[in-house]
Amino acid sequence: MYGLFDVSTSGMIAQRVRLEAASANLANQNSLLDSKGNIAPYRRREVMLAAGDGKSGLEGADGAQSGRSFGVHIAEIQVDKSDPVPVKYDPTSPYAYKDGPYKGYVAMTGINPAVETVNAMEAVRAYEANVMAAEATKQMVAAALRLIA
Amino acid sequence: VFGEVVNSGSGPALEAAFRFAAQRQKLIANNIANITTPNFVQQDVSVPEFQRALGEAIERRRGAGNLGDLDVRGDDEVDIGANGALALKPNSTIGGIMFQDRNNRDLEKLEQAQIENATMFRVCADLLKSRSDLMRAAIGERAG
Repeated sequence: MYGLFDVSTSGMIAQRVRLEAASANLANQNSLLDSKGNIAPYRRREVMLAAGDGKSGLEGADGAQSGRSFGVHIAEIQVDKSDPVPVKYDPTSPYAYKDGPYKGYVAMTGINPAVETVNAMEAVRAYEANVMAAEATKQMVAAALRLIA
Repeated sequence: VFGEVVNSGSGPALEAAFRFAAQRQKLIANNIANITTPNFVQQDVSVPEFQRALGEAIERRRGAGNLGDLDVRGDDEVDIGANGALALKPNSTIGGIMFQDRNNRDLEKLEQAQIENATMFRVCADLLKSRSDLMRAAIGERAG
């Protein structure tokens, strides 16, 4: 029965990482330089979730006994690889394109704060649901332990 | 004799329901853990079907003097092993509309299922404890 906690814990971990990704996207929505000072607008991160733990391969009753075939795991953290969208015309900026078709434009991250905020709220609510599930499991385990107490 | 005492009355039925609720909690927790997983279809087992199978087993046992093991017969969603171990193979899907990520989550129904299941588990646990307390008291009186 303790495998039940694994299921809820995997959900909490997944939602926490989703929240971290949304927070990082919001924090870097105006980051135009990389860590070395080169012009490289921040690329949006998106967490892709998949059912199961992704490694045990246990199905049916075998997996059900351990709880490992249940739960959720992070399949991938996708980095937006699309070309930066030049959305802001600012020829005086030191980060503006010096030549080419986008001359005078500054490449932006293209992060939509509304989308990231909604994603963050969804992750928080899903995290809370997993906490509730873990709480219910805890009460059930306590009830079972009272049988032998 | 001890087996007859332990397996008499409502004990085996309570144990079967106890095991069912414990296994179903795993399914519910799994549905909640995957509430934002794309393409995940929420799954559950039919509680009325299990209760029907349990009721039939109780009737059969009642005809045999209300003693001995309870012969709960599994169906396509519930596997019952030789030692009474129970494994669930969920087929029923929890309702709810498909979202754009092809997940049919329905948090309200999940919470309801979780509360009902936890209540069922606790009721079974409390009744089993009452039975064991009764037996303990009876053994204590005899020993005294």
